[in-house]
Amino acid sequence: MSEGTVITITSGKGGVGKTTITANLATALAMRGHNVVAIDADIGLRNLDVVMGLENRIVYDLVDVIEGRCRLRQAMIKDKRLEGLSLIPAAQTRDKMAVSPNDMRLVCEQLREEVDYIIIDSPAGIERGFQNAVAPADHVLVVTNPEISAVRDADRIIGMIEAEEKGPGRLIVNRIKPDMVARGDMLSIEDIVEILAIDVIGIIPDDEEILVSTNKGDPLVRGEDQNRTGAALRNLAARVAGEEVPFLDLKAKDTMLSRLRSWVGGRS
Amino acid sequence: MDTQLTQIKGIRDGLLMTISSGPPHDELLKILAAEILAKSTFLRNSRIALELHVRKMHRDQLEDILELFAHHGLTVWAVLSKRETTREAARKLGLATRLPGSQMDLEGNGRPEPVMASPKGRSGRPPNALFVKETLRSGQAIDYEGAVIIFGDVNPGAEVVADGDVIVWGKLRGLVHAGANGNLKATISALDLTPTQLRIADQIAVTPKQKRRQPMPETAAIRGGQIVAEEWH
Repeated sequence: MSEGTVITITSGKGGVGKTTITANLATALAMRGHNVVAIDADIGLRNLDVVMGLENRIVYDLVDVIEGRCRLRQAMIKDKRLEGLSLIPAAQTRDKMAVSPNDMRLVCEQLREEVDYIIIDSPAGIERGFQNAVAPADHVLVVTNPEISAVRDADRIIGMIEAEEKGPGRLIVNRIKPDMVARGDMLSIEDIVEILAIDVIGIIPDDEEILVSTNKGDPLVRGEDQNRTGAALRNLAARVAGEEVPFLDLKAKDTMLSRLRSWVGGRS
Repeated sequence: MDTQLTQIKGIRDGLLMTISSGPPHDELLKILAAEILAKSTFLRNSRIALELHVRKMHRDQLEDILELFAHHGLTVWAVLSKRETTREAARKLGLATRLPGSQMDLEGNGRPEPVMASPKGRSGRPPNALFVKETLRSGQAIDYEGAVIIFGDVNPGAEVVADGDVIVWGKLRGLVHAGANGNLKATISALDLTPTQLRIADQIAVTPKQKRRQPMPETAAIRGGQIVAEEWH
C-alpha cells in the first residue's frame, strides 16, 4: 500500500471557513472510498468535532496521544455514518504549546501507514499553531474569502509556506457570491489570483445551507440535494484526489425556478 | 582543492564567511565540514555571519549547516542573503538577517550605523543596486542602503526601504520608501504604480482614490515639495 498524503488547510485570517472545508473535504474523500482521518490542530479552541457531529464521542484527543496517555488508535473517532472516516480531536483544556511541529510529524508518520489522506485543520494566525499544522504537510491548501483583508493574510501565509519549503500551496476561494461579483461589488477570482499568483483548486459559492449543516454536525457534501455549494466541495475533493474537474459555472442563475427544476429532476 | 568554497574575513562582529553558490546541498555540507576542519584553529570560538548571496536555502538545510558549525563549537548568529525566503527561514531559526553587501551594523535593527564624515558610505561611493528577482508578499521586507530593483510584484503589506531609487518591474501595491536617508532626488518607478503608500525622503503620498484605470508605467518623484507621479519613459 502506498503511503498516505498529508494535506493542511490554513488561511492566516480566522473565520474564512477552514474548519467547514476540512470537515467537508474529509467527508467527501471518504465518500469516494478513501480512508481518511481529519486532525483538529486548533488546540484549546476545538471545533472540528462539532462540525463533523462527533463531539459527544470524544474520549482521548491529540494531546493525549502526544503525551502518551493513549495509543493513536484510541484517539481516532470513527464516524459511524460513513465507512473510512475518522477524527482526531484537539484538546480543549490545553494550548498550542502542548504540541510541537515535531510531534505533528511523528503522529502523521504513524497515520500515513494506515490511511490514504490525513487532513489537518490549522488554527488561524501565523504562530505556533500554524507551524504545527504545516510541519507534516505534503500539500497546503490556503483558504481565502473574496475580501481584501483575507487575501492580504493569505498572501502572508503563502510567503511563510514557501519559506517552510511546502511549495506555494493551492488556493480555495470560499464564500464567493456570484451576483455580487457580477455587479462589481466583490473581488472576483481573477482579482484574487492576480495578487496571490498561485493555482486555484476550489471555488466555493456562499450558501445559507452550509450554516445549517455546520450547526447540525452533518457536512453538506453528504446531502443528496442539488446544492451547488455541496457540488463545489465534492469537486474540490475530486481535484485533491487527482481528478481533473472543470470549475462550476457560477454565473448560471440559481433562481427559484431552476431550483424547482432541479428538485423535480432529482426525484424522477 | 584549487578553489575554495568559502571565504572568510573579519568584520566588527566576528567573522563573515562567504559561501559561493555552487554544489548541491549534500555536497556543500561535506566540503564545508572539510574546510571548517582545516581552519579549525583559526575559527575557534568565533561568532560567524554567513553570506549566502543568492543561494536558496530552506529551513531544514539551514539547520543542517548550523548543526555542522555547532558540532565544531562555532556559533552562527546571522545570515546574509539576497533571497527573502532564505532570510525568512533564517529568522525562523532565530538568526539575524541582512542583505548581502550590507554596511549596516549587523547587530542593529536594520538601521545604518551612524557614519560621521561621508553620508555616502565608507568608500565615498554609493553602494551598488540590489536586484531582487522575486515577488514580495505581505509581511516581507527589504531594507537596503542603495537602489533597489525588483523583478516581480510588491504586494500589499510588503515593504521596501532604500536610500536610493526603487524600480519595480511589476505591480507596486505595497509600501515603498525611496531616499530613506533624506535623498530628495530619489524616485520610485513601477509598471503599475498603485501603492498603499509612497515615501520619498520625508514626504508621504498615497494613491488617489479613483476608479481603476488602465495600468501604465509611472515614476514618482518630488516636484515642488511634494510627491507626484508621471508617465515613465
